[in-house]
Amino acid sequence: MSPHDEYEVTVVGGGSAGVAAALAASRQGARTLLIERQQLLGGMGTNAMVHTFCGLFHPDVSQGPQWLNPGIPTELGTALMQRGGMEEPDLMGRVYVLRHRPADLASLTAELCAAEPHLTVLTGAEVTALSPGWTITLNDRLIHSRAVIDTTGDALLARLLGHSHWDLATSARLYRPAYVWSFQGLSAILDEPLRLHVAALIVRAVKAGALPAAALGTTLRASPTRGEVFVSTDLEAGGDHWDPLDLDQRLHLESEGRALAQAVWDFLRSSHPSFTTITPPVLPVHAGIRESARWRGDYVLSADDLIRSRRFEDEAALAGWPLEMRETARGPRFRYFDQPEPAGIPASCLRARSLPGMFFAGRCLSCDHEALASVRVMGTCLATGQAAGQMAAAFRP
Amino acid sequence: MPADLSADSVLSLILEQQIIESAEPVSVTTDLFALGLDSMAMMQLLLHIEDRFGIAIAPGEMTRDRFATAAALAEFLAGKQT
Ligand SMILES: Cc1cc2nc3c(=O)[nH]c(=O)nc-3n(C[C@H](O)[C@H](O)[C@H](O)COP(=O)(O)OP(=O)(O)OC[C@H]3O[C@@H](n4cnc5c(N)ncnc54)[C@H](O)[C@@H]3O)c2cc1C
Repeated sequence: MSPHDEYEVTVVGGGSAGVAAALAASRQGARTLLIERQQLLGGMGTNAMVHTFCGLFHPDVSQGPQWLNPGIPTELGTALMQRGGMEEPDLMGRVYVLRHRPADLASLTAELCAAEPHLTVLTGAEVTALSPGWTITLNDRLIHSRAVIDTTGDALLARLLGHSHWDLATSARLYRPAYVWSFQGLSAILDEPLRLHVAALIVRAVKAGALPAAALGTTLRASPTRGEVFVSTDLEAGGDHWDPLDLDQRLHLESEGRALAQAVWDFLRSSHPSFTTITPPVLPVHAGIRESARWRGDYVLSADDLIRSRRFEDEAALAGWPLEMRETARGPRFRYFDQPEPAGIPASCLRARSLPGMFFAGRCLSCDHEALASVRVMGTCLATGQAAGQMAAAFRP
Repeated sequence: MPADLSADSVLSLILEQQIIESAEPVSVTTDLFALGLDSMAMMQLLLHIEDRFGIAIAPGEMTRDRFATAAALAEFLAGKQT
């Protein structure tokens, strides 16, 4: 490759939003580059072992599951269901969710990208600098691109440009991170009685000092594969001092997560007959970060817009997931929309007038902290990514 | 001194400790699972029951019926107290 590669659209970050953006832009005929620092595509849904797609379906569940956003969200959701051997999504209380295997998301996103003639995927490459125009610095080369899309989840490109285009909630309010891992070989069905039993076992163990108090943030969920279970523990992560952009805190989070996985695994295996056969923990590539920096675009989507199912003229995507607030590691607080009707996400949340050719989507789009509790879910990220990809492909300086 | 154990006191513990939150009014006969009582919220509830009423619940005693409403839970806990 030449040291100065030219593209029409460059997408930075290959999670749900970035993959959708890259597919959408390249399908419009734009010469597109997708850059991802990990080797597997899929973002949190692959590397942090997040294993359920939310936000894919219409919030009115009385009609059965209805896809909410046409195009890539529907296409990828349908393909994931086929790979998982699922006939229907799961109705969880008042919402539909789609369980998936992280490895399926990784291979499916790679296959979809490989099928696009106008799309080049560069994994294992980290963006480290950006200058207007746009020139992007990778580990070993420079990229020139007419349009750029930030789908890093961390508003990395805004931070590289300086202080004026991004926001970060206060440490105490940031949605807590979590550590997700899995095992196989559970010899019973993970139903509600077993889940309640395990919850009580963990409480007793914490009281007795056999497990750290952090184990109280643990939830077990069945994967689409029989006998396979995902274990997810929400972590306080330093509470009032949590900074998701601080390297040392991230390192500490990783080691706390690994130690906890080992402790919970040891405990489960020796505390309940259905768990004596479980295989050792499969660890994630990294811990799951729910919230970090967000872009400040031409419009900042608010919780009120979502709750009232507000619609916009320049609508780019639809949101339907309730506000799922996780400001503590003691479980989510849900706030449902007033009516079971979707809310619009305007195109002005995906761009900033002062930065022509710059777009953003996924969990770093322009919204407030409360609105993020809804629009950060992967189904919605696919939809905002798709919209940003189309906008970037159509952009002319 | 363990607190008085009635359906109302169990319900106020659940609401005070934000084990569940609800926009609609919650009574001692409201189904707590329908309001989002899940296994993680259950762990917090068990800890608070132990703190306030001095009653430890064994894993084998965890059934949906016993935790379905504040009234059912109070009755179960009262039975354990004596
Ligand atoms: C513990 C946890 C549980 C969750 N549960 C659910 C759930 O049940 N359902 C649901 O729908 N959502 C859930 N979410 C939310 C969801 O996973 C994320 O909000 C979503 O994945 C965000 O998608 P994204 O594409 O915006 O960002 P990400 O998935 O974070 O992807 C960003 C990508 O950018 C890459 N990147 C970052 N910086 C650079 C760089 N400098 N150079 C190159 N690449 C870079 C990263 O490696 C990553 O692959 C959960 C999140 C967490 C953390």
